[in-house]
Amino acid sequence: MKRTRTTGVSRRSTLALMGAGAATIAMPWVARAQAKTIKIGMPTILSGRVAQLGTSSRNAVMLEVEKVNAAGGLAGRQIEMVIRDSKGQPQEAARISRELVNTDGCELLIDAEASSGAFAVHEVARDLGVFCIHTNSETSSLTADPKQHIPNAFRTARQGVHDSIVGGSYAAGIAKAKGLKKWATCSPDYAYGRDTTGEFTLYLKRFAPDVEIISDSWPKLFQPDYTEVVTKILQAKPQALYSCLWGGDLTSYIDQANIYALFTQMEVFAVNMADYTALTVVKNLPKGIHSGNRYIKTYPGTPENAAWGDAYKAKYNEYPTNWSWENATAIMLIAEASKKANSADGKKIAEVLRGLTIKCPFGADGTVTMRGEDQTLIGYAIGWGTTIPQEPYVPEVKAGDWKTILELEAEWKKSKGYT
Amino acid sequence: MTELQAGEGAQAVGIARPRARPRRNRDVLIALIAFIVLAALPMIFSSKLLLDFVIRCAAYGLFATSLNLLVGYTGLISFGHGMFFGLGAYGFGLMMQKTGVPVPVAFVATLAITFVVAAVIGAICVRLKEIYFAFVTLAFQMLIHSTILSWVSLTGGDQGLRGGIPRPPFLGIDLSNHHHLYIAACALLVLGLLLMRQIAQSPFGYTLRMIRDNATRASFVGIDVWRAKLTIFVLAALFASTGGIIMALFVSGAYPEFAYWTISGEGIFINMLGGVTTFLGPMVGTVLLLILNDTVTRLTEYHGIVLGIVILFFAIGLRKGLMDFVVEWAAQRRGKAEERAP
Amino acid sequence: MDLDALAGCLASPACLVTQTTSGLIIGMLLFLVAVGLTLIFGVLKVVNFSHGAFYMFGAYFAMTAYQFTGSFALAMLCGAAGTAILGLIFERVFMSRVYGADVLMQLLVCYAFVLIFDDVVRMIWGPEFKSMGMPSAFQVPPLFIVGGVVPPYYLLLIGVALAAAVVLGLGLARSRIGKVIRAAAHNPGMVSALGINTGLIYGGVFALGGMLAGLAGALAAPVRSLTPGMGFSVLIESFIVTVIGGMGSILGALIGALLIGLIRSFGSLGFPLFTEGLMYLFMVIVLVSRPTGLFGKEVA
Repeated sequence: MKRTRTTGVSRRSTLALMGAGAATIAMPWVARAQAKTIKIGMPTILSGRVAQLGTSSRNAVMLEVEKVNAAGGLAGRQIEMVIRDSKGQPQEAARISRELVNTDGCELLIDAEASSGAFAVHEVARDLGVFCIHTNSETSSLTADPKQHIPNAFRTARQGVHDSIVGGSYAAGIAKAKGLKKWATCSPDYAYGRDTTGEFTLYLKRFAPDVEIISDSWPKLFQPDYTEVVTKILQAKPQALYSCLWGGDLTSYIDQANIYALFTQMEVFAVNMADYTALTVVKNLPKGIHSGNRYIKTYPGTPENAAWGDAYKAKYNEYPTNWSWENATAIMLIAEASKKANSADGKKIAEVLRGLTIKCPFGADGTVTMRGEDQTLIGYAIGWGTTIPQEPYVPEVKAGDWKTILELEAEWKKSKGYT
Repeated sequence: MTELQAGEGAQAVGIARPRARPRRNRDVLIALIAFIVLAALPMIFSSKLLLDFVIRCAAYGLFATSLNLLVGYTGLISFGHGMFFGLGAYGFGLMMQKTGVPVPVAFVATLAITFVVAAVIGAICVRLKEIYFAFVTLAFQMLIHSTILSWVSLTGGDQGLRGGIPRPPFLGIDLSNHHHLYIAACALLVLGLLLMRQIAQSPFGYTLRMIRDNATRASFVGIDVWRAKLTIFVLAALFASTGGIIMALFVSGAYPEFAYWTISGEGIFINMLGGVTTFLGPMVGTVLLLILNDTVTRLTEYHGIVLGIVILFFAIGLRKGLMDFVVEWAAQRRGKAEERAP
Repeated sequence: MDLDALAGCLASPACLVTQTTSGLIIGMLLFLVAVGLTLIFGVLKVVNFSHGAFYMFGAYFAMTAYQFTGSFALAMLCGAAGTAILGLIFERVFMSRVYGADVLMQLLVCYAFVLIFDDVVRMIWGPEFKSMGMPSAFQVPPLFIVGGVVPPYYLLLIGVALAAAVVLGLGLARSRIGKVIRAAAHNPGMVSALGINTGLIYGGVFALGGMLAGLAGALAAPVRSLTPGMGFSVLIESFIVTVIGGMGSILGALIGALLIGLIRSFGSLGFPLFTEGLMYLFMVIVLVSRPTGLFGKEVA
């Protein structure tokens, strides 16, 4: 008797387990049912060391989606965001993207992955032909390399080469004025760090030909300790230091370099300093670090930008990040393109999006443009300034000149064999 | 450090080796049926998710089962098995991107590369015992991972192999077609499992169990322990590499994460989840982990906590893998039934 | 590769001093984490995979205490004491249940807690990275020793770690408790037959190991950014240290940690792009030539 009962229970629970499994697999038809809402899938990183990338991207997206939905949605269809965590693993990013499209019925993708994850999602977009905007990968080759090009993928993230051109010319100006000839670099050892540093020194030397790089350091991404790197730079005794460390790595580096009094011995150019994530976290921020703007609400110094930053702060009780504006811009562009096309269809949106210019709080002149030829964002606010340890953190930003940027970018593309 | 062997393996050893031929025929038959069922699935369910799921099961399943050849059958706990998964993905991806050879040639060449690398690394590693074997394999894994990251001109560094993996059709098979890829992955999975099953049931497989249970005794009987360990290390590497190739085809690229130690960790985890004393334990573990992963990441971003609690349930609650538990439970039941029989 | 830079540094006393102390700093923090790992392994025969989490909690506890009290000493105390309690609970409630089980099962329990602890930190302190900030007492210009640069804070750090090493070493070798612990490591059955509570010893050793990792985290908090998952890279490095030094050997952990520190500090001069690889290479060489590590005894 007893025996039979245990078997029964066990069999039933096994069946239940199988049923649960089948249900997860069988869900597609439920989701496929033609709904009035339009689903936008968003693979991003919500756990691990760069979880902030995902959370601040998501916050910005939700902020904008609410506005779009309040104004009637995309061609009359309300947006529903489906946001999933890839844990920063490319194979998970690829799987999730496929699942979002194939199973959850997402018609558009916002790829808020970093680094290799973005390339993995790019391959999914190539395979499935789904409309996709890369919002966080700044690696230039993602859109600059014609081999990567697909008609359905766009990018609203800033591009490494743009930063380097502006940074190089800004740094060259200071180098000439202050006679900084001996430079050192210290950047994270991965594609973004290497490419951006290489391009920065390229343009620095171009604008200030007598500059010499006397030392380079390549700490690993997420390395906890930079002591050996700091002392190596101190040994080399450069007059100026360039770094594209970011986030927690940058703050660790500053804290550790600070106690060696590194900042009193050289001019420091840290492109990723002027982002609230780093500015508000470092307790003893040294004065006068040169930095490119990431996101600050005082640059561009327009009421629209300040209002956007404040709205974000009011809603989430923290300041937006560089990733925030990049993701918000993606939603703004989709909304505008959909309005113009009078459709929420990915193909039609893509057609309108190529070459589209919209009003945007993050634009250098109040507008940003999705360049048609390589489907990447241009015209966004980009500039350099020096930091102070309290608000507004970067009081004066010297704007980069987009005409020069575009000329030099075209030249760079040619040198890379991209055009 | 005396209890280092994975699972007691009492069942596997306790059963006397049966007549080999009918058993092999039965295995082939089961494999054939499994393949037919898998191949027929897309006709019944039109879900692409299901196909994706099975392809990923094939990749991880081959990897995890091959790891069990080391962990469960030979008592070699490798923390670096993932390096061959990564090697397969990178080897195949690079071959297709750089040389443009037909898919089967690249497949065989990748296995050949894996063979050589595994033979060299294995020759060094299998000399070490127990936890030290685990550490040295881990060290090799990290060395390979660092090399992939540093050798940017070949591997693309942290961004992986970009631009997709080209896959020209061969013999009427077009792997860029999702359905064809699915069938190919199923075929590789079933074939791989069948081969591994034959290895496990062969006299060589029983030699391995003997080494696991008592290496000293094995060498007294005249077994060259080092050679046997190396052989299984290389064989397991080949199947792991095949898993990597399937993964590379699935994501159309290869990324350094494939060669990171976390993949090895996941392999161990799958084995623990499914159980190491039965041949199909790792396969069950794979399906379990993937379902768990896919559903939990859907539901919450605090999936670490959920996954952690599930692991605790297995480790502290069951104290063994699912299949081990089932097998033991069935054996107990059988025992009781026999007791009661007049 | 940049061997000229390495040779140039070896020829200059100022550079030698700076890079050597930099190696010491990296090494000593690593030692604090690694010695707990090696101690737990030596006595409990458990490879504590969740050790990095204790380092992480130490840092977060210290930061929170510092925010509320503004006292650096109290922050260090909180970091160390908090993780000691955590270690005790973790051992008594969870780890003690899997001592008899397979090594892989123990690893699995630790792995589960790596996942859980990271998420718990993310829930309590948020996903963004934090910084504790350097106490004003240490915001002073660095010292110059034979032309080499050494920040005072790092002198404190080296001092604390060295003190820990000496106390541990002597304590285990000379004191009564040390003898009991060593006996328990050697033959737990005999020790418990003598009427000594081995559970208490195990819990105590785990708490001690956790405390040392927590102290390392607390000491690192002013100079390293705090994020969920921050224990991870430290864990991997301290694994390398214990494996090189020999699992279970305190002296081995010290020497291993210093070696890794020096490989990092001088390796970054000579091989800026392959510093990490150098460590793994070194580990492979040690393991292959001396499987039990430099100071490890053959484990039965």
